[in-house]
Formats: sequence, structure tokens, C-alpha cells
Amino acid sequence: MNPLNRLDLYKEMVRIRQYESRILQEYHADKKPAWDIGAGLIPGEMHLSAGQEPAAVGVCAHLRKGDAITAPHRPHHFALAHGVDMNAMTAEIYGRDTGLCHGKGGHMHLFDPENHFSCSGIIAQGYPVACGQALAFKRKGTDHVAVAVAGEGAANQGAFHESLNLAALWKLPVIFVIEDNDWAISVPRSHSTANASNADRAAGYGMPGVRIENNDVEAVFEAAGAAIDRARAGEGPSLLEIHTLRLFGHFEGDAQAYRGADLDTVHDRDPIPRYAGVLKELGELSDEQIASIAAEATTEVDAAITFATSSPSPTADDALLHVFA
Amino acid sequence: MPDVGVVGIVANPSSGRDIRRLVANGAFVTTNDKVNMITRMLAGLRSVGVSSALSMTDLGGISASLADLAKGPASKAWPALDFVDQDITQSPADTTVAVHAMVAAGVGAIVVLGGDGTNAVVAEACGNVPIASISTGTNNAFPRSAEPTVVGIAAGLVAIGALDARDVTCRAKTLTVRSGERRRRALVDVTITAHASIASGAVWDSSTVREVFLCFAEPHRIGLSSIGGHIRTVRRGDPFGLYLRLGRPTVASVRVPLGPGLMANVDLAEFGELAIDRTMTAVTPFGMVAVDGERAFRFDPDDTVNVTLTADGPRAIDVEGVMELASARGLLARTALPP
Repeated sequence: MNPLNRLDLYKEMVRIRQYESRILQEYHADKKPAWDIGAGLIPGEMHLSAGQEPAAVGVCAHLRKGDAITAPHRPHHFALAHGVDMNAMTAEIYGRDTGLCHGKGGHMHLFDPENHFSCSGIIAQGYPVACGQALAFKRKGTDHVAVAVAGEGAANQGAFHESLNLAALWKLPVIFVIEDNDWAISVPRSHSTANASNADRAAGYGMPGVRIENNDVEAVFEAAGAAIDRARAGEGPSLLEIHTLRLFGHFEGDAQAYRGADLDTVHDRDPIPRYAGVLKELGELSDEQIASIAAEATTEVDAAITFATSSPSPTADDALLHVFA
Repeated sequence: MPDVGVVGIVANPSSGRDIRRLVANGAFVTTNDKVNMITRMLAGLRSVGVSSALSMTDLGGISASLADLAKGPASKAWPALDFVDQDITQSPADTTVAVHAMVAAGVGAIVVLGGDGTNAVVAEACGNVPIASISTGTNNAFPRSAEPTVVGIAAGLVAIGALDARDVTCRAKTLTVRSGERRRRALVDVTITAHASIASGAVWDSSTVREVFLCFAEPHRIGLSSIGGHIRTVRRGDPFGLYLRLGRPTVASVRVPLGPGLMANVDLAEFGELAIDRTMTAVTPFGMVAVDGERAFRFDPDDTVNVTLTADGPRAIDVEGVMELASARGLLARTALPP
């Protein structure tokens, strides 16, 4: 388990939040007056991860080069926390040729082979892929691990169950991370899932399952460290169910009428100011540092946006490139 | 048996799911397991004539499952089941609110499904209402193991007054820890650790432990109290507890089960009896106070942490004792028994 560095955890969460907040602004800026999801510099859907930073930062703090992550349609926090280049990622979101996939994938299809990061909007697709990655690590004799991230709704897909079964059977070094943000789009877990907690499902496959409450980055850090250590030591898979918080809508443009009173308190539960308060109480963070960390993140994000918006778009001649592997 | 009596039910939806499934070999206790235990317990309650049960409400699936089952044929073997009308915060405060409601409703006993921490929260709120515990936590030092059906019978007999509660309950000892305005109560242990934050909550690593104060120390238990159990056994009925200060120079060293499947070497620099109503002050200058194995709050060098052992804890039902008395008096006999 890597040693805990609270300031690093805080900085990374702020960096991700600054990114998501800026993408939110940029995404909406040119879709008015009538909402047109296809209009503007960032066309298509957008699923932002603000509020879910503790999950990504707590898990990725233990990963190293060569470890793999598969992520779902809400991938930005895990991508950034795992070291995906912000410029290339932003260019991809903007559909530019300098993007990770030369602008042809967009925000839900960020593929970074160098960092073994991939994501897709097909629900639960990452689980079997992570099992394949973990099998490769095991057969190569390395101690790398694969992390499969998805939401609580994805745990009702067949691919989830097939993956847990195979991972347990073959003792694969994979960590299944469920980000339970209470809403599968607009469906609460109680309406879709027979189990009150997806951590319980791990029992059926003979692997440890832990539910982490309070969206607490240090609680995630501790549990993820233990799960990743277990996997590196050859002890097999684990399941981490992280109760987290979706600050924004499922997608941008989501009016969230279904959320009711939950929306009234959502910003009171923001994990970043809460953690700043904890660090200040510990004497590990000052108001000056809060300001300078925010400024540093803003500078980096501004540079990424500038890189993306000044990059060329793919041309018609490129349309048939990269279609087949 | 008269058709009377109300029994309260507290079931912690979070117990048995924490990091000790990863860092130790903590067993799973799923929501379905807890619901199953409650159905068995309810059958036990009804069998001795308890007319109704009042359950806390939770968002962890327990009360929802019970409410659903209560509409079906299985519930014919149950007392009438009602639920506390409460706002859910998904924190220990939910248990406190529920127990207050149960006490106000005049329950004759409360059955608690949880670990040491859940029982401690119930103990703070239940006053003189006897409690019977079914273990669903990780270390489970306070709740004794018992089949839920039998716990239901025992709690039911106490609730309907078939037995004098004074004959079959004993006052648990408690530890009260105070630091400034902060105050918490423990049924098993108060521990001073080197942690700087609550994080995942559990205490499982002996290298982080500095001092332990114990209500009792039984050698057949796991968890922090096992350290004391192999230094000097202290029974639940003994008029004292134990304090332990870890470190060097070592006066004693033990190897004990600090968690399920987790053995640890523990070196002690000092230990001794903690008398009832005696207050001790933690000597560790700063760190974390943990209550019944869960990190609770931080303290700094400017803070004083005082720990007091008292004998005014909850009245814990001796399930085995109840059943022996019930057998001796033929309370479950349907006919006169031959001599």
C-alpha cells in the first residue's frame, strides 16, 4: 500500500473538479438559445464526474505504470487520476485530431494504450475487458492489476456476474469498483437491484466485498490499498462498492426532476470542501494553499482547453483511418 | 401464553461490510442474512405470545424486505410488525431515534442485530429496557452467539413478563470517554490509536494502537479485548475492567486474534485493573479515540482524554439463562411434563 499523502489526494481532487467545472461551462456555452446537444465545440453527450473524485483519487493513488483501468461513460476523473494526458484527453473531447483517438471517439471513448486506460458507454463492458487484462498480467508473471469501474446499475448486467465468477475462479488480479452514486440515470438502486448493497454480491463469488460510505477519500484509499495489495500478492479479486455523489445530472442537459429533495442538499455533501476542512483541522492545509492549488489547477485546465480549441479537426480524408485495428 | 407485549428490533444495515473483509478474514453478513435472522427471531417472539414488534426503518434494505415479507404467508408466524416513522440519515443517529421511539412505545425488550458499536448506540438510548443481541458485526465481543430463534424466545419471555427480568439480565459495564465537549460510551473498549483521521473507521493494526481500556476481557473473544483476555481475564460480572498501555520497555507480550483470522503480537509496557467509577487519563499526547473498535474522534496535545468505567450500562438478557429457567419452569411445555 502506498503511504498516505493527504495533500496529494486533495490536489488531485481539486484538479479533477476544476476540469469538470470548466468542461461544464465550455459544453453549455454554445448550445443556446435552444438546447441542441449536437451544437457547439463539444458535440454529443457529456457525463461529468464532479462529486465522485474521492473514488478515482483514492483508488488511483495505489496504481502504477502498467496497471490498467476500464471505465464507463463517466470517465474523466479516473482518466486524469490514472495519468492520462489532459491535453490529449481534452482534444479528444473536442473531437480534434490531436486527441487520444484523433477526435473520432469523443468523451466516452478515451483510449490511452500507454496508460492502459479505456472507457466506453456500453454499460458493464469494462468488466470482461479488465478480466482479460488481469489474465494477461497473471500469465506474464507481473504484479500489475486491472481495475474495472462502473456504476451501481451496471452491476445488474450479465457481464458483471460473468466477470466476477471468472475472476474468482482463476484468481485474477482485478479490483471491481462500483461507484454507487444512488442513480442509474434516473433509477434509484432500490428500483433496479434485489440486493441493498452490491458489496453483498461479492459473497456469492467467494471474494471479499467492502462498502465504503461517506464518499471519504481516505476510506477509499485504505480499502483500495488493501484490495490492490491483495491482487498484487496473487490472492485474487476484490469488490469495492464506493458510495459516492453525483453533483451534476446524469448527462449535461438533464433537468434531474426525478431527484426531488435530494437535489436540495447535494452541494452540502460536496466531498472536496469537506476534505479541505479536515486537512485544515490537521494543520496540513492553509487558506493560502487552497488558493494556490486552485490556481494551479485552473492554469493547467486553461492550457488544455486552449490546446484543444486550437487543434485541427480530423479531415474527410481521415474518415477511413483507424477504423480497423 | 398471553398475547401481549411489544419488542423492538434494531438491525444495522452497515454491519459486516467494512474493510476487515479485506485486511482480515471478516465474514460476510449480507442484508439477506440479516433479514433471515430477523424472520427466525420473529417466529421465536410469536411462539411465546408476543403480540407485536416495532422495527427501526433503514435504507439498507432490511426494513423494506421485512415490510415486503410481512404481506406474505411467512408472516403468519410473526407478531404484528410495525416500523418506526423516522427520517433516515444513514448514520448511528437513526438507531438512536429508533430506540427512543421504541422506549416511548413501551417495548418490553429490544433485539439488536449488529456488532459492538451498534449495541453501544442502543445502550445509550434504551434506558432500562433489556436488550438481547444477535451478532452480525466483525469482532462481536459484546453480543454472545445465539440462534436468532432462541433469542426471539428469550426476549419474548422477558418482554411479556413470563420471567422476572432481574433474574435473567445483568447490567453491562460501560466505558465513558470524554475530551472537552466530546463524549462517547463503549460497551467493550476505548482505544487510543496513532491514526490521524477516521477514514475507513476500523482498528485492525496493532502497530497503530497505543492504549486500550476494557470493560471485560474474555480470552475466547477476538478483537482488541483479546489482548486483555490473555493478560488478565476479566468477566462481565467482575467489578472492574482493565487498562493496557502498549509499547516498550515490555512487561508482557502476547499473540492474540486482533480480528477474524488476524493474529498480532502485542507488547505491553503497563497494565492493571480499572476500578468501577475510576477515571483514567490517556497518556498518549495526540491521536485518535476509537470506541468499540471504530475510530471516533481526533485529539490534539491541548486535549485531555479521560476514560471512566461504570456499571450503569444496558440490561443485557442472558439468553442461555432465560432458556434454562424456561425449561425448568416448563414455559415452553404444551402439556405437563412427566417427572
